[in-house]
Amino acid sequence: MIRLQNVNKYFFKDDPREVHALRDINLEIKKGEFSALIGPSGCGKTTLLNVIGALDSINSGKIYLESREITALNEKESTELRLHEMGFVFQAYNLVPVLSVAENIAFIMRLRGFPESQINERVLEVATLLEIDHKLDALPNTLSGGQQQRVAVARAVASKPKIILADEPTANLDSKNSQILMDMMRMLNEKEEVTILFASHDEYVINSVNRIIKMNDGALVD
Amino acid sequence: MFKLALKNILFYKSRSITTFILTFISTLLFIVYVAMMDGSHESMLKNALKVYTGAIEVYKKEYRDIGGNEYLINDVKSIEEKLSHIEGIKTYTSRYETYGLLSSKEISSAAMVTGINPDKEAQMSQLKHTLIKGEYLKHDSGNCLYVGADLVKKLGVDIGGEITFVGSASDNSFAADIFKLCGVFKTGSFEFDAMAAFVTRTYFDTLMYSENKASYISIALNNLDEVDSINAHIASKMDTDIESLTWKTLMKPMVEAMEVDSVFGYISMSLFYVVIFFVIMIFGFINVSSRVREFGTLRCIGLSQGKIRTLLFYEMFILSTAAILLAMPLGGAIAYYFSLNPIVIEGMSEMYKDYGIISDEMPFAFNLLTISWNVATIYVLNFLSIIYPVSYINSFKPIEATHHV
Amino acid sequence: MFKMILKLAWNNAFLRLSRTLLVIIMIAVSMSMMLSIQGIYDGMTLNMVNSALRSDSGEISIYNKNYRLDKQIVNDIQNAGEICADLENNPSVKAVSVRYSVEGLSATARKASFSNIIGIDLEEEEKFGAFSKFLKEGEISFEKRGALLGAELAKTLKVRIGSKLIFSTQDKSGDINSIALKVRGIIQTNNLVIDQRALYIERKQLYEFLGVDTNTATQIAIRTDDDALINTIKKEYSEQEVKSFLELNPLLKQMEDMMVIFNSITFTIVMLVVFIGILGVMYVSILDRIREFGIMRGIGMAYNHLRTQIFLEALFVGLAGYSVGAILGFFALYYLQETGLNLSTYAEGMASFGMPTIIYAHQEFSYYSNTFYAIVLSSLLSVLLPLRKIKHLHPIDVIKADT
Repeated sequence: MIRLQNVNKYFFKDDPREVHALRDINLEIKKGEFSALIGPSGCGKTTLLNVIGALDSINSGKIYLESREITALNEKESTELRLHEMGFVFQAYNLVPVLSVAENIAFIMRLRGFPESQINERVLEVATLLEIDHKLDALPNTLSGGQQQRVAVARAVASKPKIILADEPTANLDSKNSQILMDMMRMLNEKEEVTILFASHDEYVINSVNRIIKMNDGALVD
Repeated sequence: MFKLALKNILFYKSRSITTFILTFISTLLFIVYVAMMDGSHESMLKNALKVYTGAIEVYKKEYRDIGGNEYLINDVKSIEEKLSHIEGIKTYTSRYETYGLLSSKEISSAAMVTGINPDKEAQMSQLKHTLIKGEYLKHDSGNCLYVGADLVKKLGVDIGGEITFVGSASDNSFAADIFKLCGVFKTGSFEFDAMAAFVTRTYFDTLMYSENKASYISIALNNLDEVDSINAHIASKMDTDIESLTWKTLMKPMVEAMEVDSVFGYISMSLFYVVIFFVIMIFGFINVSSRVREFGTLRCIGLSQGKIRTLLFYEMFILSTAAILLAMPLGGAIAYYFSLNPIVIEGMSEMYKDYGIISDEMPFAFNLLTISWNVATIYVLNFLSIIYPVSYINSFKPIEATHHV
Repeated sequence: MFKMILKLAWNNAFLRLSRTLLVIIMIAVSMSMMLSIQGIYDGMTLNMVNSALRSDSGEISIYNKNYRLDKQIVNDIQNAGEICADLENNPSVKAVSVRYSVEGLSATARKASFSNIIGIDLEEEEKFGAFSKFLKEGEISFEKRGALLGAELAKTLKVRIGSKLIFSTQDKSGDINSIALKVRGIIQTNNLVIDQRALYIERKQLYEFLGVDTNTATQIAIRTDDDALINTIKKEYSEQEVKSFLELNPLLKQMEDMMVIFNSITFTIVMLVVFIGILGVMYVSILDRIREFGIMRGIGMAYNHLRTQIFLEALFVGLAGYSVGAILGFFALYYLQETGLNLSTYAEGMASFGMPTIIYAHQEFSYYSNTFYAIVLSSLLSVLLPLRKIKHLHPIDVIKADT
């Protein structure tokens, strides 16, 4: 599904502040995996997630999404790729504050031009799975942190992307909500057969995933 | 994007209210101010035009530049015959103007004495309607003189009194006669009332040997807006030694003065709009910069830069349109009301008589085309004000934006 | 402590550079435009006032009591010589000009126009209002029956330097009399009445032509810097009509008043909108940092110190804008003072309003000082609202407040 070949990334290259953020990464993520990049703060897991998500560039190497090389894409093509093939869940500020829960979930589908009937059906389906169907008309600022993250997950999965990238999704949640979120994401992984890759150092994430990819100091660790 | 824009407007109230109010006030002010400015200019020009100057005047070439009897029109009848076949002309009349001295028993004064056709003149200008004492001229008034009020005051004559005229005839010979004051007029135009006197042509022509001659022929039109096209038509029918000029040339100093006044008016207004532009931009910028993270997230999940531009464009479009839809009819109504019921400033004409202002009324001009371009300008300014905020937000890379503090 | 507050204020004022720069640019552009416009309008008005003072009435003018209602020879000042001599001995009087004027008709072979013939003494006029500076064409000379014409009159008569013209009027004995003159110079005073109608000749020559006594005048005009002089002159010559410049030119007085009103309104509106701009930026800036303020209060910083810091921030932004605006405005006004605003495209229109084709701006210290006070005031007032927001909050609430 995702293949990284000899990927290197530097911050502030050729500068006294230069940081070798990703060192010769070779990695393969298979379809349907429920895995996590783990490691101490600053080890490069978020950077690796970002380059996989075509949010950031690399200095050398190649990244493939299925058979398509995504490292050569320009800004417009990257955006299109993210819209059609990927879903994202961030640590915070995920949702559009002025849209209701239903509208937030439907957002990507609307951007992609799905028919309204399909959108409504899918929103209800996903919201029910994530147990937020009773809050469809609510605004994000009326929800708890856990509920907000579930809406973010619902949005990410609603348009049936090939892969969901989640960067520290539980960082702002208490233990109970973290567990609930992880349980639901595991359920989605199994039911929707969507590949999910986390970047996290949270024990709830580590304990929930099928595969752990360790990182340290920009490199993969066996 | 449109629905999202609408929701953003309702959510981010302070920016929306500020932008709405500023747009509303600036649109209203612009419409009303321009209506007032254009109205007062039009009124000044029309009033000055109505008094005496024709919409079009036909001269022998060089009469205005060099002058003198050699440049009088010598065949008024043939020119009038040509004019009678031209569409759009309401009426025309020939005038024979000469400078001379008018004297009462004790006082003499220089004056411009003009031979006119009273009936036609009554259709052309304000002369008959500005009668304040005595009676207006008739075709057979003979040696009756119709004189401006200030000139009458200077000569110290009353109706029926004798006034001597001394001047030169069209063949440069000496001309003198005794006239009788039959009527007094007051147009409000200071220059005119202090210097002008009129006699019926049937009498004056015999004194001045000016039968079939004229200083110029004055023309009134059915529709003043057609002046240029009709003028071109007249010019094409005339001989090469005859020229026809529109009021825009004849009253050029006044026309230019109005243009200068407009220029200064717009300069003053522009200051106001520059400041408003900046404030709208600043509020837009603040609003957008407080949403950098939100936009960053949206960019990450697939919202393109183009769609963000569209979103912000819609937000500005909705706010501007709402404000303009309120301000435009209100401004238009104010302009319309005051176009029919002009503001009266008592004493204005007396104060500004040296500048050719003859009325205390200041009507507004109601013109839909003018209001439209006023509104279009505000729209353009508002859209220009979001260029910087849009480029600011799109300058962030998606991931940068999500980490923005 | 104050040094630290100053440093905090300075750094925070320019923390969000784009935002702050926008406000600075707004203040600078608005201010420099406003100063330029004010300078041009004041320049215009002053120019008209100056023209009228120099070419006509001076600060004070004396007429026969009946003259202004009925401008006939019979209504001249009989003892002009004595009055003039008295005035010249008055230390408050800078210059005196004695003029004799009648209305009549100027004519060439082909054109005629109403005009006023004005008998003057060139030396007197030069001292009075630097008369030679009005010269547009030709020379200032009355040699060989020379005459100087107002520019608009010359245009109407279609005369050039060297052209001949005849002036006719009624003399003292009531007879119509004419005098042949040669155009020696054309003057432009930008005083509408003069430029459209004035025909200047040697005063002695005019006396002779009209048959009037050389001890008479229709107008005695006075230049002075002493505002109180008018009252003295009115008392001393109560049998004559003594008028001040403003009494003779109510239109100019009105224009001056209107300019003051207009400039004040423009100033207020601009400052109000500047206030809104600064308010917007400061409000958001403070709300953005409400947690930071809460923490500072929590660790012991007094509200007064916080308030001082915020006031200083607003002042820094306002004053930065003012400085740039003042520099831009100064250069703009300097340019407009030296080169002027060229409106020669509208030459005829400008002349019809008695204005020069090039308008030179005026510049005063008060432009800058008034704007300074207004911007300081706007800046300080703009933070009152945001300060209220944090004043009554307990530090712990502030820390928890949503941004």
